[in-house]
Amino acid sequence: MTKSGTWDAIVIGAGVNGLVAAHYLARAGRRVLVVERQLDARTSLETGWVPPQLVRELGLDRHGLRVEQPDPWIAAPLGGGGRLELRRDIGQSVDAIRRISRADAAKWPEFCTRMRRLAGVLEALYVQPPPDVETRQVGELLRLAALGLRVRRLGKQAVIDLLRILPMSVAELLDDWFESDALKGVLGAGGVWHLRQGPRSAGTAFNLLHHHVGSPAGLFRPPRSNIMQVLAGLPGVEVRRGAEATAVLAKHGRATSVLLRNEEVFAPLVVSSGDPRSALRHVGTDLDPEFVRALNNIKCRGVVARGTLTLERPADFGTLCVAPSLEYLERAYDDAKYGRDSARPYVEAQSVDGRVEVHVQYVPFTGQDRSGEQNSVLRERIGATLGADASQVSLETPADWDRLYDLTEGHLYHGELTLDQILFMRPLAGWSRYRTPLEGLYLCGAGTHPGGGIAGAAGRNAARVILQET
Amino acid sequence: MAASQRYDAIVIGGGHNGLVHAAYLARAGKKVLVLERRPRVGGAAVTEEVFPGFKFSMFSYVVSLLRPEIIRDLELPRHGLHILPLESTVTPMENGDYLAAWGDHDETRRELCRHSPRDAEAYDEYSQLMHHMARAVKPILGMVPPDPTSLSPKDLFALMRLGRHFRGLGGERFHALVKLMTMSSADLLDEWFETDVLKATKAASGIIGTFLGPRSPGTAYVLLHHYMGELDGVFRAWGFAKGGTGSVSEAIAAAARGFGAEIRCDATVARVLVTGGRATGVALANGDELRASIVVSSLDPRRTFLELLEERELPTEFVADIRRFKFRGSSGKVNLALDALPSFTCMPGVGRHHRGAISISPSLAYVERAYDDAKYGEFSRRPYMDIVFPSMIDSGMAPPGKHVMSIFVQYAPYQLNGGWSDAKREAFGDAVLDTVEQFAPGFKSLILHRQVLTPADIERITGLSEGNIFQGELALHQLFFLRPAPGWAKFRTPVRGFYQCGSGTHPGGGIMGASGRLAALAVLGAGA
Repeated sequence: MTKSGTWDAIVIGAGVNGLVAAHYLARAGRRVLVVERQLDARTSLETGWVPPQLVRELGLDRHGLRVEQPDPWIAAPLGGGGRLELRRDIGQSVDAIRRISRADAAKWPEFCTRMRRLAGVLEALYVQPPPDVETRQVGELLRLAALGLRVRRLGKQAVIDLLRILPMSVAELLDDWFESDALKGVLGAGGVWHLRQGPRSAGTAFNLLHHHVGSPAGLFRPPRSNIMQVLAGLPGVEVRRGAEATAVLAKHGRATSVLLRNEEVFAPLVVSSGDPRSALRHVGTDLDPEFVRALNNIKCRGVVARGTLTLERPADFGTLCVAPSLEYLERAYDDAKYGRDSARPYVEAQSVDGRVEVHVQYVPFTGQDRSGEQNSVLRERIGATLGADASQVSLETPADWDRLYDLTEGHLYHGELTLDQILFMRPLAGWSRYRTPLEGLYLCGAGTHPGGGIAGAAGRNAARVILQET
Repeated sequence: MAASQRYDAIVIGGGHNGLVHAAYLARAGKKVLVLERRPRVGGAAVTEEVFPGFKFSMFSYVVSLLRPEIIRDLELPRHGLHILPLESTVTPMENGDYLAAWGDHDETRRELCRHSPRDAEAYDEYSQLMHHMARAVKPILGMVPPDPTSLSPKDLFALMRLGRHFRGLGGERFHALVKLMTMSSADLLDEWFETDVLKATKAASGIIGTFLGPRSPGTAYVLLHHYMGELDGVFRAWGFAKGGTGSVSEAIAAAARGFGAEIRCDATVARVLVTGGRATGVALANGDELRASIVVSSLDPRRTFLELLEERELPTEFVADIRRFKFRGSSGKVNLALDALPSFTCMPGVGRHHRGAISISPSLAYVERAYDDAKYGEFSRRPYMDIVFPSMIDSGMAPPGKHVMSIFVQYAPYQLNGGWSDAKREAFGDAVLDTVEQFAPGFKSLILHRQVLTPADIERITGLSEGNIFQGELALHQLFFLRPAPGWAKFRTPVRGFYQCGSGTHPGGGIMGASGRLAALAVLGAGA
């Protein structure tokens, strides 16, 4: 074991949030070391809104940030043949929807406007630390009042929508508006992303809106960007790859260093982008048992598997969504409820440079290792769903992520985005300001506000809080 | 028309909320008339002699939430209200064991310990937290919801007061409350306990009257209800009214009459008379017209606005909101006349458990699967049931030596695939009895008579839309200032002089009477 260099701050994990936090700290003059267990930098596209504040402040656009959303943004196979294709252009979507339902086509523009307005409220909430509703500080109260005013200015309808829709199930929301199963399936799928919930579960309407942020009206899937690549190329922080942090050490209740496999690096400030449960599992001090209990109650039950398949011919779609109805999604969820892979899963396939990346839901984490047999059955189901040969598809499941990457229960968002785990309740009530009970240790990953599916917002919020406090 | 037929207020519907409302108005000196469609008052809180000698609380069968201030203000004990405690809950398990909660705290703790010492430990802490939460929510039940979209100083002030109330709880309790409002009962209970049958029995109380399963977010809140009754100290968590729940209605009616209100049964209101945007009275089905300065409906929002009024008398957006209001009745009732008490495998013979509730909720998965059936339009093949034997607590309910058995059943969706028919009703009844038989072999041979009530029957008999026992689902987006519609949660309606006071308004649910009382205060406050 060697004892080496002292830094102002050590960031654990070179994902988007870790790197963003590191760069903000570096720009404030801190000497920052990022330690990352993976040897190679990940270059795949990142899914999620990149907040404009982040782009501006880190100059990401000057360094080649590309944000893309395919057009049509989604294609859904229809029962009677053909596809429902929804486009960025609302008028074109209206034409496409009209072929399956005139009533739904007529409602599409207003639905898009109303949802867009609510997504705007979330965007405002997401680029700052979560509102502290218990505060007695004047500054924070003013910030709350400003938020309230911002919502009021949107008008009475927006206030009602916000109060009514956020706690709703996406099924109820969509049944209020539309009749077409295909359309409701496409939108409903966005409501259950990364949740161990079905479309009839309350709070899934919020999840749909969460994934609408950063997109124009009428486009209900998050954009994708090369932000990982851009951040990796940004100068200013030292990134040490192949360096696995095994523990955060503390002295007198303060974080002092990070233990790597055969080295100890020192800094008075440690920022972890890992999921809260795993980040705090390896701290070299005893935490309050009440806190540990609450920590272990964070719901992060992974339900998504991912895979890549290579097609013989180029795909004839940008994004293909197989979730033909809300009932289909609900039944897929029913299996997961009892700990089984969905017999007929929801599959969304995106074509990227001749490959197809698939999102498969529900493949629940069960705490047991998956057998090869289970995975080959899953491949068959993916193939049957997509109507393609998927026997060669590479698969990554929650069980893999949990085992290989220390990602608790394989939840890619580091914690489900249910109503009891967002805003001032994320990652834990009373601990939503990126702090932890160990002084000098902060969290900055997707497990903190505003959560997964947003690129770098948590990292930026965390860094700003840290710079104020340390 | 004779001058004597002019009233200060006409209340449509003689259910418990209509009666409470009328009693409060009469108590304030108003000349009040209550019009009830059925031959007796009570709505869904009625006692009927369904089979000769056997009396049943036909629909609603336990009392726990009736507001103590109503009991006090209306002096209900003097008018015959007498609540008998229901002390235990026993859940038979599929392996022949059971889980019991007794009136005695130490005994319950020992019983829990038998299943899991850890859970016995956690149970006290859990109960304490729920008590605090119930205390935190209670003031809201007695409050007219402010309108968050309004900019009037009164509403802003009320909102601020509400905000202060929550902040006053302190961080930990406030967070616990947020979790209770948003989580599923299964997830919340998973945080506390490990014994499946305990979680299932607790979770079952969170799904009563909802179209949700224990794993559906939003069900945790209903867990609180069990603790609210207890909190008032007037009676225990759950109780029976002596003479059945009909006697609760009778007591309220007697109080109302005592204050001078007139109650007319067999009087069906066809519509509310509106002149120049103002309610002026009602037209009865027999053609009679009755005049009053104000008209108050205790019917559910769908009947109140879409049947008693013409659509053109209401704003389009409001009509759309009422159409969206969800009812989806999900529960049924089976009332049985028995030759003798059934013997349960887990507790053979007759015992004190027959004086409490028997909960058929052996595991979380059992209850969740019962919901799965309903989700896709079928009644549960193996339903969740809450069983009581009223004749064991009040011997007047059945002839000597015989018994009545009340089975609350979930789920029985109103929107059944293919619709409800006589054959489907009997098939549903059979599923219920077959399930009980599994836990109490030989039980079926004791049945003298059976009455099976589906949500369709509940709708037909009581008028409750879709047979929803709460006059509209108690889901987060249908509560407080959203009940029954945003902007119209203060008991007023878009028609001047026309008010609403049923369970479809805040706070709704159970034999609580809070809606009727709050609406009366709103009406009196408006200077009507």
